[in-house]
Amino acid sequence: MSDNRKKILEMLEQSKISADEAYRLLSAVDDGEKGSKDSAGEGQSRTETGIKSKSKYLRVTVTPGDKYENPERADRVNVRVPMSLIRAGIKLTSLIPQEALDKANDALKEKGINFDVRSIKSGDIEELIDALGDMQVDVETSKGECVKVFVE
Amino acid sequence: MSWPPMLMHIRIKTKDTRFGLWLPLFLLFPVVLVIFIILSPFILIGIIITWDRGWGKLALFSLRAAFVACWSLRGLKVDVRRPGECVSISII
Repeated sequence: MSDNRKKILEMLEQSKISADEAYRLLSAVDDGEKGSKDSAGEGQSRTETGIKSKSKYLRVTVTPGDKYENPERADRVNVRVPMSLIRAGIKLTSLIPQEALDKANDALKEKGINFDVRSIKSGDIEELIDALGDMQVDVETSKGECVKVFVE
Repeated sequence: MSWPPMLMHIRIKTKDTRFGLWLPLFLLFPVVLVIFIILSPFILIGIIITWDRGWGKLALFSLRAAFVACWSLRGLKVDVRRPGECVSISII
């Protein structure tokens, strides 16, 4: 067993991380090991594209963090949305009537964002979804709740 | 190849009640297909009549988008827990 795996399992044992996080970390270690085996050929870039193409789900989790006073009484949220559903959802935006898009543009301008929603093309959407693979949002609230948004 | 959703599992647990339901979505497909075949002439006529106004095209795209969205539901999971209460919906 590698040191990394052992560390992850120890952290899980000490309840420093949840089972879900441990699974993600172990998967990352697996990918890293596969990548290092492949690196004799095309190198790291191939592994990175492999990870991107594997992105199947957008995950949103809310878990009690280290600072949370009473983790047993905490609310827990675990949402897993297939990327294909997000893709289908984004494509639904093409059905939004022009009047509604104008209103959305006006609302964005009011907020200081000078962006034309109508300028988004289907090719841009594909690029946007591919780029989601690199995204990770990690927020810890003042109450100690840990909110994570990531793609796996 | 992606497969359509086959089963939906709904689980609700509160302090007083416990409710779990396995919904076989694959059994609904033939029913939906029959309904769609019966309604398709009316949908087609509606699309043709409203094509000039732009609504027909919108209806056609909406149908396709709704179908793609339903097909992509497989793997969706929502799980909300708090002490003594739990709501879980998963589509398999």
